[in-house]
Amino acid sequence: MALHLNLLHEEILELRQRQRDPLKIGMLVLSSCGALLFLYYAWNAYQTLEIKSKLSSIEAEWKKLEPKVTQAQKRSAELTDVINTTRVLDDYIDNRFFWGPFLEKLSRCVPPNAQITSMEGSLGDEDKGGGVTVMLDGVAAAREPRSAAEDLRQMLLEQLGKTYHDVKAEFKTLEDVETVASIGGTTVPMSRYILSVTFNPNAAKPVATPAVGRRKAKTKDE
Amino acid sequence: MNLPKLKLSKDQTKKLALSAMGFVVLLYVYFSFFLGPLQKSRAGTFAQIEDRQKKIDSSKAEVNKAAALERQAKDAMARFATLKALAPEGAPIAWFPPKMKTFFTNQGIDRAVARLESNTTFKQNELAAWTKFNWLIDLPQADFASVGKSIAELENTQPLLTITKLSIHVLPEQPQFQQVAIAATTVIEKR
Repeated sequence: MALHLNLLHEEILELRQRQRDPLKIGMLVLSSCGALLFLYYAWNAYQTLEIKSKLSSIEAEWKKLEPKVTQAQKRSAELTDVINTTRVLDDYIDNRFFWGPFLEKLSRCVPPNAQITSMEGSLGDEDKGGGVTVMLDGVAAAREPRSAAEDLRQMLLEQLGKTYHDVKAEFKTLEDVETVASIGGTTVPMSRYILSVTFNPNAAKPVATPAVGRRKAKTKDE
Repeated sequence: MNLPKLKLSKDQTKKLALSAMGFVVLLYVYFSFFLGPLQKSRAGTFAQIEDRQKKIDSSKAEVNKAAALERQAKDAMARFATLKALAPEGAPIAWFPPKMKTFFTNQGIDRAVARLESNTTFKQNELAAWTKFNWLIDLPQADFASVGKSIAELENTQPLLTITKLSIHVLPEQPQFQQVAIAATTVIEKR
């Protein structure tokens, strides 16, 4: 067996002790950790920069889009206003009461032996149902003048009832007058009447003639 | 197995403790002043992106909606323009009475006089830009047939005009003629 002598024992021990120096190892570990942390930070910073650049592109897109959107919103509000206003105006137009057809009906209801001397018609408030009230003042001349006036009332009920709803016709006054009328050479007594006619035109849409612009306008006498 | 026993001198122990403290401080500084703000900024940017993206998406939807509305509103726009065109420029008091006079003259009724009674605003928000004008139209001498035709024509040609009251009286001296009073309401855009 060969004899192995270590003549540098002390130097080697010192070297080994230097190599196992905890401070040095600690510094190495610290440096490694620092490097890792730096890399992690760099990676995060890179990602943040990437996100920021994405934000910039989105901001640029938004800047491009924003005026268009503002304009579109303005236009949209304008159009909505126009649509709503037109709808309300159309309702207003469609819910009007047309006096032309009523006057035509009235003229057809008056028999030859009766006359209307005065007519007062008024349209009720839309809030209160929009009913129509007509006061007719006139005279009737016949052998039985009161029945001539009653015929007029019946005719009004019948004719107006075809077009309007809740038609009511009642005498406020019906009295004989001393004046006489001559019809066909015959002298007949006369009576004076005041007739109150009320009806609701709202459910009677077909009577309403169309408004200009949407449908062709036509007169009642066509 | 015997692990080599570390024999640390007092000086080395101090250095090691100092290094450990330095490491802790380093970690604190790293997370508090570098990585923390960076991640905070990243989260903020993310939130901003999300917010902008939402805005862009909703805006695109808004633009599309406006385009669709534009197509849908064509009829309403044309109708609105027609209704607006019914009233000439200027104050209604200036053009409505002459217009009525001309209208009734064309219908064979002379001496038509229109007066402005009042004007009111609408309660509806949709008609905030429109005003209701109440007029009184007097026809001192007219025959019933002409009046009927004229009223029908007026109602058909003036869709924004409503007759609220109609009064027809026989003229005592000329029973073939009637005296007519028309209370009418017109809807006119404010100008």
